[in-house]
Amino acid sequence: MLRRTGLLLAGAVFVMWAVATLTFFAIRLIPGDPAQAILGGPGSQASQEALDQVRRDYGLDQPLIVQYLAMLGRLLTGDLGTSYALKVPVAELLGAQLGGTLLLAVLSLAVAWVLALALSLWSTGRSRIATVLGEWIELAAAALPHFWFAAVLIAVFSTALGWFPPVATGTPAGLVLPVVTLAVPLAGFLAQVMRESLLDAMQQPFVVSARARGEGALGIRLRHTIRHAALPGISLSGWALGWLLSGAVVVETIFAMPGLGRTLLQAVTLRDIPIVTGVVLLIALVYVVMTILTDAASRLADPRLRRQAAAR
Amino acid sequence: MPAALTAATRRFGLLSIALVGAIVLAGCQSTQPEASGGDPVPGGTLTYASGDGEPTCLDPHVGGNYPQALLAGQFLESLVSRDETGEIIPWLAESWEVAGDGLAWEFTLREGVTFTDGTPLDAESVKVNVEHLKNPDTQSSTGYLALGKVETVEVVSDRVARFVLSTPDSALLESLSQPWVAIESPTGIARGMEENCQAPVGTGPFIVDEWVKQDHVTLVRNDDYTSPPADAAHEGPAYLEAIEWRFVPDSASRYAALQGGQVDVIDNPQPDTIAAAEGSDSLAWLDAPRPGASNRIELNGGQVPFDDERVREAFIRAVEVDDGIEALFFGTAERSFSPLSSVESLAYSDGSLFEPDPDRANALLDEAGWTERDADGTRMKDGTRLTLRFPVSTNQSIPAEQSLFEQVQATAKAAGFDVVIELLDLSSWYGALAAHEYEIVSAPYTKVGPDVLRILYHSDSIAPAPSGYFANLAQLADPAVDSLLEEAAATSDAAIRAELYEEAQRLILGGHHLLPLYDQQNSFLLSGDVQGARAIPTVSTPTFYDAWLAD
Repeated sequence: MLRRTGLLLAGAVFVMWAVATLTFFAIRLIPGDPAQAILGGPGSQASQEALDQVRRDYGLDQPLIVQYLAMLGRLLTGDLGTSYALKVPVAELLGAQLGGTLLLAVLSLAVAWVLALALSLWSTGRSRIATVLGEWIELAAAALPHFWFAAVLIAVFSTALGWFPPVATGTPAGLVLPVVTLAVPLAGFLAQVMRESLLDAMQQPFVVSARARGEGALGIRLRHTIRHAALPGISLSGWALGWLLSGAVVVETIFAMPGLGRTLLQAVTLRDIPIVTGVVLLIALVYVVMTILTDAASRLADPRLRRQAAAR
Repeated sequence: MPAALTAATRRFGLLSIALVGAIVLAGCQSTQPEASGGDPVPGGTLTYASGDGEPTCLDPHVGGNYPQALLAGQFLESLVSRDETGEIIPWLAESWEVAGDGLAWEFTLREGVTFTDGTPLDAESVKVNVEHLKNPDTQSSTGYLALGKVETVEVVSDRVARFVLSTPDSALLESLSQPWVAIESPTGIARGMEENCQAPVGTGPFIVDEWVKQDHVTLVRNDDYTSPPADAAHEGPAYLEAIEWRFVPDSASRYAALQGGQVDVIDNPQPDTIAAAEGSDSLAWLDAPRPGASNRIELNGGQVPFDDERVREAFIRAVEVDDGIEALFFGTAERSFSPLSSVESLAYSDGSLFEPDPDRANALLDEAGWTERDADGTRMKDGTRLTLRFPVSTNQSIPAEQSLFEQVQATAKAAGFDVVIELLDLSSWYGALAAHEYEIVSAPYTKVGPDVLRILYHSDSIAPAPSGYFANLAQLADPAVDSLLEEAAATSDAAIRAELYEEAQRLILGGHHLLPLYDQQNSFLLSGDVQGARAIPTVSTPTFYDAWLAD
């Protein structure tokens, strides 16, 4: 167990280091001068003195490798640096934006789970029509591009019906369309994998014996097969949360919500390297933590995994 | 469990009915009749949804871009303003006088004006502002350029400030009317950059109350307001109690929010939505083209093939943009034939230079030696293809403009030009320009007054700034143009100035260095409830000082 935890931690640290390194060099491959980003963005007509001073102040006149090592050193002490454009500590900025994005992602994940479970439980092991219909709904949902789906939702539920605002102003009503935009495509993915396991489970002998005991269809699903349906869903949820964070870039922009996605988009445009690095590291961290958590959750939901671990 | 099944199907059925109903409703939405004028009603909060990027600092002295100007117009004021005819009018300065040699300007300030932190407006505060703008630590770019010829400011008396210039500057008043050189409270400036960026203090009709990043800025009414510009419709405090300034980057969401009544004003509407709003009784369109240069395609005369004037003219005669502008902008943009915006009273137009003439284009190219054609029909000369690299900034060119550029590409192809459009983000776009990797380019430039011609077409502007940026993208180096622009910038005689600028524009247009398209589009859509809003005729930012909400 201890060895396992150690390996997990080492893996996590390695992933974070790799992400920081890739981001650091990738953002320097795209054109754009960070000194200009600091001095009012691209095309700024900053004077040579101003540029020189900024390069000195931010260490941009140092060789790339020195800058890279300096960044690693800062990261090791937990210092994410200061935003070039906003002149505020990155940690403070991300702290302020993290809540909104996490709320959006977690709500979307929850709604996606409910939709996916409902759809797969409803459409599995029933008439041929239900199965085919369920498959089609899943496929269509999973294929929905966020930007298009959001536009349709706004046209229908904001412009035509006036039920929900197109601009999320922090009210619960404002969260509905963004959450639906993210949840429906994700539900499509989740339902696909859930239904496969469910179908598998429905053909297991324990279902036959449960039926023989007189369990109804609902009882079998809720008491017996739901765990099987949930398993792949759980292991997918780690991936899903990361996927939702990237979906947040689109959704936060369309619905004008403050959050990490919009911060990232703006930072890339402005070549605000500290923010880009910070957001990417944060998303990587969420991935890593979620992978560890879903791993643990799978063990809870599936006793077979626990037994294997104990045997090891 | 058939009951559940039925319930589920019923639910899906209802949902699909709701969807169909909604789509039908969307098609035939009824609109409210427009509220009539009537007397201004005080009170209420106006919600503004901006599609311009969120400023990183609300102090327009720092950097100095349009999003900053949009917001600063609500809480900061300049020494002078400009009225609809282009005349400079009093604002914080009630009068001004220039010395005979043009090297000293004395501004007399309005009496009894205080900043919203209680600091009185005096000559010393003007001096502090100019020093703030000229201090490299402020990192000013636009304001710094506007004050390029201002050496110092001397305090003559409490209310009189003397601007001492290094060379005469006929554009000084126009420069000072811009929001990037607005006058801020010296006490506010003394708080330091971080605090001043968060909430600059001015003399304006509103005060920055709160800035929630990526969400909104709340502006509240300045109840002690006394200093409207000379062309304002009323005196005393604003009617509106507050303005909620929201950042809504997606244009479809902005328009939906306006239609749904969630916001009262939006900026940067797309041409199709402007056309739709024009047809609606409940929305009003505020068309406020930006001053300075028109939107135009510059031909890079600094390198092959446009170093040959015949090839430049051939390109201009080959492309056809009128139909494209009409169709893609839904009649909201008028074709321009001038290097200057139509709001500039000294703009000079000559449509005859831009009439498409494919035969002439082909003849000119033949004459210039581009006689061979490759398999694609692109002309060649000594093995070189007639390729025109066209970097397009997706931040600056709206989708309609990008489509227009595709039409430019298609029409130029017939004459044998191979236009290669490259869609780039702003940093990469500036990068391509700095590396001279372009033959044609469209670069907007906003500045009050015809002095923008000096920035765009004087040979000095070919020399890159330290950042690599240079404004003379046509790389026009004509001593005759240079001296006309220099004389125009230095003369104090308005009639001579007008003549010199006209002659300069004649030369610039006649040399086929640019293809004017239309004014720099700048539109606002207002809900019918919003009355009395207008754009300030300096850089065309909206002001809500005279505005009120009819209900």
